[in-house]
Amino acid sequence: MPVVRLYYEDLEQMVGASKETILERLPMMGADIGKRLEEDHVDVEFFPDRPDLYCSEGVARAMTGFLGLNAGLPEYQVSRGPIVMEVDPSVRAVRPVIGCAVIRDLHFSDPAIESLMDLQEDLHWGLGRNRRKVAIGVHDISQVRPPFRYLAADPSFRFVPLDFQDSMSMREVLERHPKGRAFAHILEGCPRYPLILDSDDQVLSFPPIINGELTRVRDETRDLFIDVTGTDPVVFKALNIVVTALAERGGRIEGVTLRSQEGEKVLPDLTPSRWVVDPAEANSLIGFDLGPEELASALQRMRFGARPDGSMVEVLVPAYRADIMHSWDIFEDAAKAFGYENLKAEMPATVTMGQSHPLSTHRSRVRESLAGLGYLEVMPFTLTSEHSQFELMRREPCHYTRVLHPISELHTMVRTDILPGLLEILSMNQHHPLPQRIFAVGDVVVGGRTESHLASASIHSGAGFSEVRSAAEAVLRELCMPARIVPSADGAFIPGRGADIMLEGRRAGCFGELHPAVITGFGLEQPVVGMELET
Amino acid sequence: MLTESDAKVLEAIAAGEQDPKAIADKLGMKVEAVRASADSLGEQGLIEVKKTVSEIFSLTGEGEAYSRQGLPERQLLERLGQGVPLSELRDPTLKIGIGWIKKKGWAVIEGGVMRPSGHVSAGEDEAVLQALHGGPRDASGLSASALAALKGRGLVTSSEQKSWLYRPTEKARAELAARSGTAGEAAVTIKQLTPELLKSGMWRDRRFTPYDVTLSAERLFPGKIHPYQRLLEKMRLIMLEMGFAEIRGDIVQSSFWNFDALFQPQDHPAREMQDTFYLSTKADLPDCSGVKEMHERGGNTGSTGWGGCWSEEVARQEVLRTHTTAVTIKYLADHPEPPVKAFCIDRVYRRESIDATHTPEFEQLEGVIMDRGVTFANLLGLLKEFYSKMGFHQVRFRPGYFPYTEPSVEPEVWIDGLGWVELGGAGVFRREVTAPFGIDHPVLAWGLGVSRLAMLTLGLKDLRLLYQSDLEWLRDTPISVYGGH
Repeated sequence: MPVVRLYYEDLEQMVGASKETILERLPMMGADIGKRLEEDHVDVEFFPDRPDLYCSEGVARAMTGFLGLNAGLPEYQVSRGPIVMEVDPSVRAVRPVIGCAVIRDLHFSDPAIESLMDLQEDLHWGLGRNRRKVAIGVHDISQVRPPFRYLAADPSFRFVPLDFQDSMSMREVLERHPKGRAFAHILEGCPRYPLILDSDDQVLSFPPIINGELTRVRDETRDLFIDVTGTDPVVFKALNIVVTALAERGGRIEGVTLRSQEGEKVLPDLTPSRWVVDPAEANSLIGFDLGPEELASALQRMRFGARPDGSMVEVLVPAYRADIMHSWDIFEDAAKAFGYENLKAEMPATVTMGQSHPLSTHRSRVRESLAGLGYLEVMPFTLTSEHSQFELMRREPCHYTRVLHPISELHTMVRTDILPGLLEILSMNQHHPLPQRIFAVGDVVVGGRTESHLASASIHSGAGFSEVRSAAEAVLRELCMPARIVPSADGAFIPGRGADIMLEGRRAGCFGELHPAVITGFGLEQPVVGMELET
Repeated sequence: MLTESDAKVLEAIAAGEQDPKAIADKLGMKVEAVRASADSLGEQGLIEVKKTVSEIFSLTGEGEAYSRQGLPERQLLERLGQGVPLSELRDPTLKIGIGWIKKKGWAVIEGGVMRPSGHVSAGEDEAVLQALHGGPRDASGLSASALAALKGRGLVTSSEQKSWLYRPTEKARAELAARSGTAGEAAVTIKQLTPELLKSGMWRDRRFTPYDVTLSAERLFPGKIHPYQRLLEKMRLIMLEMGFAEIRGDIVQSSFWNFDALFQPQDHPAREMQDTFYLSTKADLPDCSGVKEMHERGGNTGSTGWGGCWSEEVARQEVLRTHTTAVTIKYLADHPEPPVKAFCIDRVYRRESIDATHTPEFEQLEGVIMDRGVTFANLLGLLKEFYSKMGFHQVRFRPGYFPYTEPSVEPEVWIDGLGWVELGGAGVFRREVTAPFGIDHPVLAWGLGVSRLAMLTLGLKDLRLLYQSDLEWLRDTPISVYGGH
């Protein structure tokens, strides 16, 4: 989850409340404050559904409402500006969506710059799906001359990328620039790359990879040009989040005219979306009892525009909110404003009977029988490897489920048998007194289907066939399994000392003296007998 | 079988000899040989071996001198009389005494003259010095602080001395009886009660050899259920007591049931390769037009949906279930009529590397209630009840976020010594989740990772211990606590 660094002084100024009040109420707004409060700041995690809180400006905006200091829809003025962005049809095949805006008269403080950088990174990660869906560029507009053009250019086009002194082609940027290498995969297979140029063909940005060095933002920068590009209308959400955050810092938003084959439009579009919600529905979901007035007032504290309209409530959702998909999303905010701690936490009246799953009941009895025989239960991992399941067991691999991207060579598949896992546990416990008798009951996956198995193993200098035969017979008897015991060809056992358990004509298990090659394969040095059985 | 010398040693021990030196003297053996035999007897459970290491104190050369002449400060005190100018105290031993006499408060210095203060307490250090004058000994009866002080002054040194104590077990008596045959003594006293003795009634005329019942016997390792399994069972019982029906499902699930049915967008980060174990296999899907419509346009719930194009091919991709919710939603889809109270407690899989606090598989508990008129506030009530039954009586609720619930909440429980600890998550299933399956009443859901809870309740520092068990830990973990209920 994105972590936002909040400087107390900065936040206190923006919110108009003390650090103590803010820190106390933050978690109840839906934030996870780490255990550590630093001298001048705190790092706070916000949930992925609220990208508008990925910066201190957004947090302050929400907090003023939550504390009742400044409720209702935040108003932002977008002035008409002269700047035009031409969108060339060539970008359609690469990165079709672009939004842009100009912010003027900024006076950056250090926390403000840090906050903007963090916001950009967190939006790339969250909404942007690591820049694939959304990438944001921030530029010093004084270095370039409008109108601007967004087009797809030949990879041989050269410019000086950010943090470099010499020009390189876009192809070279992907090969040599650290950002290029990190994000080249997004443009893989594209014959032409996206590019934003000014009227003198100077480069603002090579989205979604890197800006030009020319428009680098400096301490003395006052006017910003912001571009957001991507593959999805969520681009406009990201643009709204960035421009409103900067407006909270005192910036003036100036519209940019986007001109494409489809026509003209002016961005950013900060028109709130309008919803009409039913307080009765809110009450039946949350379990409080609010009239239209009260619901509207709760929502205003969450910075929605809200007013009662007869028995309903009209809600204006700010253009920077990316999480409102359904009326329930609005009701959740009302519940937060009301306070989870103020809800009447009462048990539901639903009356039903408890019912254990038959397999769980059965497994409890299997455990009882094995523990009664003196076996100690273990619960090995179900993820294992072909090496352990088949090679070391001298068995042929069959019908097993392999994972595509294992975490290590030891965890490449889901077990088809439990016995190998028991042998691994024995090998980890060789420094402890013998005899050791262990068992496990659990799931295996055979042919993609989950089945239930039991396995046991016994290791000590006198472990022999009669011991495991007795144990197997006892278990079969206790579980009323009408099994037939026949000689086994299983390579895991010493020839002539392994048996198959046949149930209704099919092999449902096996037991015997483990083959010396199996024993030594698992690094063991004492005789082992074992059993495996479907349960 | 015992060797001849082992048997001799065992006999000596059974006869009451306790330490290797005495046994060696008695049997004319070397002490090392006696110890070797005793070790072997110990391994066979015939004797108990108690090894103790004690610290032996002795005087250094300087200490030895003072033990005869008195500590420098004592010598100095005797020299002082009514008072002596410091300039006259030239003797090296007396000079050593100056610092100590001041520290002990036996004298004061005024105008360069040292006078006794009249407060001379009998020194524990002097008593220790005298005690050690008789030769090296252990610390019993000596003041520990005085010993430490003298060691600090370099007057006393210490060294370790090991000693062994042997005691026969019940098994030893049986062994010796077997060796010597039951003739002789058995004619008058009974060692082992036998069917013949019972049948003939001969036991009435005999005496039973008394045993030392205070001796411990061989340690047994009973078969047991795993402590973690017992915790899972406890949680299962709580859910059953609260009227929930247990459900189970497959480890291998389609992305459809694991993600899509829960309204997780197909480009959601949680679905990426680095977090989920994907399989190469594809599943057959039920009719998924409702889910497709929901993802793309929000169906008829008034939701906006995610937009874009929902792919059935992506949904068919199989995974190892990343949460038990895959099982729950399938069950609800099959049982859309209220009321439903169901729970699942089973293993789930996340693509995590193994370390002390992460394992790629762990248990999750999840419960749902679907019924007419149940509310989010009811969910909070349910959570309070559940955690209280688990032994957590203080619970608080913080807003949370989960992709398939709205509203969402993160319950925190108070644990002494740790403070508020986040334990699980909960919420009401989104309409986008329930609507495509014809579930028309609210679904309250909550879940928690049981292995994390196990760390807290079993006091584990390392999660791996649950799965890669140390058998000694299992043998040592009691199954219940006397007086603990």
